[in-house]
Amino acid sequence: MLPKIGFVFPLLLLAVLLLGTCQPSPPAAELTIAVNAGVEGDALKAAAADYERRFGVRTQIVELPYANLFEKQLVDLLNRTGAYDVLMLDDPWMPRYAATGEMTPLEPLFAQKAPTGPDDDFLAPCLAVCRDPYGNGNLYALPYVGNSQLFFYRQDLFEKYGLAAPKTWADVGRAARAIRRGERNVYGYVMRAAQGNAVVADFMPLLWAFGGDILDAQGNPALDSPEAIAALEFMLELGRLSPPGYASFNADEVAAHLLQGTAAMSINWPAWIPAVDDPSKSRVVGKIGFSAIPGQQRAGVAAIGNWLLAIPRGSRHVERAFDFILWATSPEQMRISAERGNPPTRRSLFQDPGLRAKYRSYPVQLHSLETSRPRPRTPLWNEMENVLGVYLSKANAGELGAEDALRQAQAQIAQILKRNP
Amino acid sequence: MAAREESVRGELGRADRRLALLMLAPAVLVLMTLSIYPLFYSLRLSLTTPTGAWTADHFHRILSDRLFGTALLQTFLYTAGALVLELTLGLLLALLLNRALAGRNLFRTLLLLPMLMPPVVAAVIWRLLYNPSFGLINGTLQSLGADTSGLLWIAGQQTALASVILVDVWQWTPFMFLLLLAGLQSLPTEPYEAAQMDGASRWQVFRDITWPLLRPTVLVAVLLRLLDLLRVFDQIFILTEGGPGFATETASLYIYRNAFRFVNFHYGAALSFVLLAITTVVSLWLIRLLRGRTPAAEKS
Repeated sequence: MLPKIGFVFPLLLLAVLLLGTCQPSPPAAELTIAVNAGVEGDALKAAAADYERRFGVRTQIVELPYANLFEKQLVDLLNRTGAYDVLMLDDPWMPRYAATGEMTPLEPLFAQKAPTGPDDDFLAPCLAVCRDPYGNGNLYALPYVGNSQLFFYRQDLFEKYGLAAPKTWADVGRAARAIRRGERNVYGYVMRAAQGNAVVADFMPLLWAFGGDILDAQGNPALDSPEAIAALEFMLELGRLSPPGYASFNADEVAAHLLQGTAAMSINWPAWIPAVDDPSKSRVVGKIGFSAIPGQQRAGVAAIGNWLLAIPRGSRHVERAFDFILWATSPEQMRISAERGNPPTRRSLFQDPGLRAKYRSYPVQLHSLETSRPRPRTPLWNEMENVLGVYLSKANAGELGAEDALRQAQAQIAQILKRNP
Repeated sequence: MAAREESVRGELGRADRRLALLMLAPAVLVLMTLSIYPLFYSLRLSLTTPTGAWTADHFHRILSDRLFGTALLQTFLYTAGALVLELTLGLLLALLLNRALAGRNLFRTLLLLPMLMPPVVAAVIWRLLYNPSFGLINGTLQSLGADTSGLLWIAGQQTALASVILVDVWQWTPFMFLLLLAGLQSLPTEPYEAAQMDGASRWQVFRDITWPLLRPTVLVAVLLRLLDLLRVFDQIFILTEGGPGFATETASLYIYRNAFRFVNFHYGAALSFVLLAITTVVSLWLIRLLRGRTPAAEKS
């Protein structure tokens, strides 16, 4: 009997060992950094390699696509796994992350290293999204990439039709119609109207310019206001001047139309600026101008979309991680990041002559970022954004009218708020 | 039943039975860890609040969740559409290529190519093909002189679901074809010879010989596709992510969104159990339907 058991137990052990080795654990790194797969993440990846060479600290990069990055990081926070030491996060995620209570407050760490806290070269709107509650709460992150929306337009076509750079959305509509009438193969406008993050981000500047908002001052949904309905009606009007199928467009399709010269205007993020003047990608080199977001009833306001660096409480290398994010957001390192294509979050770098010579859009970007607004600061934002995105996309696809779409979105958002008092 | 157990007990000595149990242990352990435990864990999740108290609220909420209802309906439409097309096309191709035909082996190999492609890659390719302005499909149609301004494919509210079904048909018809061809080739030749002697028409041969004999293979093929289709996720996620609007949202996408994007694992688990129940019922129904019509059952 014994020999038989002796045969089975190694088998069991083998099974357990096999299970354990299914996912080979990487060699222990001193800093594990979860970054976004894209230009923003590429710059931080390069910075981590520099840091490793300079300070002899082994770093490991976990690179994930946008949606997965949020999921992995949040699961890591909720379970305090300690898998990541540095998180690179999109600023609308901050309230949800902070709500876990698993983010390391940075002020006590600053107290040891730089008692004055983050220096005032950082732009105020960039630091404000690093705090929870917004603006004056605990500091949980430092801003690394200073993204905010910009207005892209074809300067050559505007000159051809005697149009001035658009100041209001009414100007945009007039220019789009004029260009659509005159040009056979150019659509007046192009936008991202795919449900979810895309259509909501493109709708926010319109909503704000028309004087509406998602939530009112008391935090109640305000999407059925006449201002919001007027904003969506105007979006649908722009849609009629946009390429067919725009209700499913994401950043890639919008960029394709801009770079191929088949659309004249768009709201876009700075990540696409380098491609515009890159002859290998663009047919409109030097022809696209950048301006601030147009206004209407109110002054034009861009949505802020900064990439932040933060430290989970579960990290086993909090001090080291703090040293890294302090280093990565220092003026010298952020200049290198800017050279690599990422907008900075520091005023001095936006005003730097060398960088201004390289990026002609910097003055407009600085203005846009300084006057930018965040999307609603609530841990429920993902859910609200999803619902609003579905109904905005439905309206743009022609399934619902503006008022119907917003009323239904309003009702759904009210339900979300009611479920999560 | 009891008698059979008795005989097993008789055949196996006590020591042998113990050995048998021990030999089974690793497999049982793996199954428990990877399937049974997570199943019960998620069942508990679906019945508790985040603070751990028992509740039926999540299931109650599903009843009034109109978006989930729409997603379920679209999942059924997607499944039914893809299944019918894949079975029909797969069967026709299998019948065609089961006969002596010049270049038969080449055709068979070519037909399998779509299935060998990772679904995500296939979806990315189709996304590019479908692009209304720059895509190959509309481009080709335009060069042939067609007006494609109304052809939006995955971007159109009315055409999106049909367009994602088409991608599934393109990718998984080969799977049906492969299984059915294997089934056809394993059929006995005698009935066909007899039918030939009796002068049966081609249609009669198919209706009275091929189809009844092939039915078990069809059952397996349909069941496998059905289970895959009901939980479709990857292709649609890449192609449309459920849009435009909500036009191609499926149950799996909706569950994923609730669990991971909105971080509501409890509600996500409850939704999953609803999908699991539906999948189980539909599968059992299908098995009975197809079994009930086999010749053996007809005789008895």
